[in-house]
Amino acid sequence: MNRDVCAGDALSKSNRVKSSLKKHATRKLLSIACVGSMILTVASLPLSSAATAAGKKTDITYWFWGESDIPGITKWMTQRIATYEKANPDVKISLVPQSNTTIIPSFTLAAQSKTGPDVDTQWATLPTLLPALSGDVTPISNFLPKSDTSHWLSTNENTYNGKIYAMPLYMIGVPLVWNKKLFKEAGLNPNVGPSTWTEFLADAKALKAHGITPIGMGNKDGYFGAWMFAIYEKQELNTLTQLTEGIAGKGNAETKLLASLKTMYTMLQGLIKDGYVNSNVESLTLDQGWQLFPESKAAMSFTTDGNVLSWAKSVGEANVGVEKPPTWGTGKLASTYDVTQSSDEFITSWSANKQADANFLEWLHEPTNMVALNKETGAFPADNQFPVKDITDPLARQLDELDTSGQSIWLENFIPPQIDSDADQPAGQLITSGSGTPTQAVALWKQQISLWQTQQPTQFKEFSTWAPGA
Amino acid sequence: MSSSTLVGRSSDTDERPASGIKRAWRRPQLWPYGYMAPVLIALALVFGYSFVEVVRYSFYAGSVGQLTYVGTANYKELFQDPQFVTSMLNNFKLLLVVPIVTILSLALALGINTTFRGVRQYRAIVFLPYILPATAMGLSFSYLLQGNGVLDAVLKAVHLSFLIHDWLGSPSWVMFSIGGVIVWQQFGFGVVVFSAALLSVPGETIEAARIDGANWWVVQRKILIPQIRRIIEFFVILEAIIVLSSVFTYVYVLTGGGPAYSSSVMEFFIYQNGFENGSIGIASAAAVVLLGIASVFIAFYLWARARAAKGIY
Repeated sequence: MNRDVCAGDALSKSNRVKSSLKKHATRKLLSIACVGSMILTVASLPLSSAATAAGKKTDITYWFWGESDIPGITKWMTQRIATYEKANPDVKISLVPQSNTTIIPSFTLAAQSKTGPDVDTQWATLPTLLPALSGDVTPISNFLPKSDTSHWLSTNENTYNGKIYAMPLYMIGVPLVWNKKLFKEAGLNPNVGPSTWTEFLADAKALKAHGITPIGMGNKDGYFGAWMFAIYEKQELNTLTQLTEGIAGKGNAETKLLASLKTMYTMLQGLIKDGYVNSNVESLTLDQGWQLFPESKAAMSFTTDGNVLSWAKSVGEANVGVEKPPTWGTGKLASTYDVTQSSDEFITSWSANKQADANFLEWLHEPTNMVALNKETGAFPADNQFPVKDITDPLARQLDELDTSGQSIWLENFIPPQIDSDADQPAGQLITSGSGTPTQAVALWKQQISLWQTQQPTQFKEFSTWAPGA
Repeated sequence: MSSSTLVGRSSDTDERPASGIKRAWRRPQLWPYGYMAPVLIALALVFGYSFVEVVRYSFYAGSVGQLTYVGTANYKELFQDPQFVTSMLNNFKLLLVVPIVTILSLALALGINTTFRGVRQYRAIVFLPYILPATAMGLSFSYLLQGNGVLDAVLKAVHLSFLIHDWLGSPSWVMFSIGGVIVWQQFGFGVVVFSAALLSVPGETIEAARIDGANWWVVQRKILIPQIRRIIEFFVILEAIIVLSSVFTYVYVLTGGGPAYSSSVMEFFIYQNGFENGSIGIASAAAVVLLGIASVFIAFYLWARARAAKGIY
């Protein structure tokens, strides 16, 4: 009995061992099968992709910005893309609108991982050329014949070593705009805007005396300060080299640049102290500050052509006056105007379909599209094929005449984006918030230039190489 | 007792040679690690790898792909950079939010720790700000607090014009404004946490104290607050960590770090340098410093918990 039991136990144990081994073997087989199927699945992915590649659309991801310059341009671009996709069913374009605060950081991040947009909008000159020098931008002129690019305006802003890195879409001037009705209320001649600094201050004084805010701007994002730099620091310079050499720290160029900046900030401080700028300038963004003008809460502003035309719809075109910002500085560049392509469109170095990107961008310059851009937004296309004579609106004509009146420079384009965001913008905020002096603003510039030179050695080297040709 | 009994759980392998028994011993011990492996690998990749890379990057200058080894220069530069120093000081200033939130929410939780009509709805309303997206809240408050904004208009309407300020545009007021918004949002969370803790206190304890003649104040001070002490400690540490390392959204939406860096915090500094400028080295160095400071609070919390577990008060 016991033996039987033992034999039975042994048999049972033996069966259990067998069963266990069988289970183990089954598990192993299952595991191998699972892993094998996973490997096969992963391995088959590229094969299936390749297999379907023939029928796949060309995807273009387009990070686009422009609404702040030209209200309505995103709608125009969306419509253009729809038309292009209809005409080219094998192309799919995904538009990703950007804002003032994301345009640079988003691309900086994308460039580090070499992923994201195939086509990107960036502000002109250094924000485009520095990534280009780092190899993140492919020259668009590599993909288009000269007969196409020769129609584009202001290509010099994005040209280096004979190659055009980006395509301009529109041109904007930055005039001084004034509200004729409010000028009249303050006892000023509504048809004559201030052209000298003395006249500007006198007009501001009269407006203030009548309880009208003379200048409506916003600097929460630092852009009012940056615009004052672009318009008025330029007026102190004789050449652009004075700026670029100052940033590159050549000889005593930095000292001279900082001295001229101090003078400019002293002027800005005067405007703030005298109460000529809206008191909440520091808690409004530039876009928000601008809204004071169409709401007739401020009599003057520095803005873009596109905004002038848009605001004219609110306050009535007859009540809007425009002209070059009043002259303040004494440098040779003081006589230049402030026109720029502002932003441009380029092809990233990691884009898989560069020729397709270039074809689409060039298609945007077709006369029908450029005319539509002007008609729908009032923007002036950056293309010499655009029939300027077709502009019938008197205000638009006046703006166009200003834009084409002579040499133009937008100084902010010529400083590295890091200096712009970390020195130019906060230094202006020091002044507009009343928390700092011109000396402190200049000290901030000096410190941030030095920080940029040490933190971005490669970019600094590239800038120094580029600067003499600027 | 047979050898199979000694082997215990592995009785099905007792007929194998000694080496087989050893293998049978090892297998059950290794299997759990096998199950844990995916999580461990994921943690190592997500946290371990990132941590090592952040520390490594902190010794370099330039952008990814163009890095230059600079040793500890980033750390020296950090503490000489007025923007970073201001950012760090602002984080410490925001620590003042912690006692304010704790006291206010504890006081309200104690006040509503009773049954009255609508108490649940009241708790839900108080909790509401906590579940609002910080971005939406930041945008709303930027309209409320901007110069000549809603708050200023109300102050003017009630003849308190002397209190009017540009709450977000003035460097003297901006940190108070941001702190106030954080208090407003975290307050609801505190009330819910403390209310839940108070509900878990046994009713018999309170009843016994009352029978012994304890008045309302004594019950709160001597019974309820000590009973939820561990929750209060947890809340304080949690809030301290939040104001040190989770206030980026408030700053970004309300002020963008301005005017002139006066409301910048360490997270904003990291964002600006790492993402806007692509200066990955200095951003990583700042991240290491921030992690170090947050670790002090976490260590303190763990120490307090360990003490509490041992019954040391």
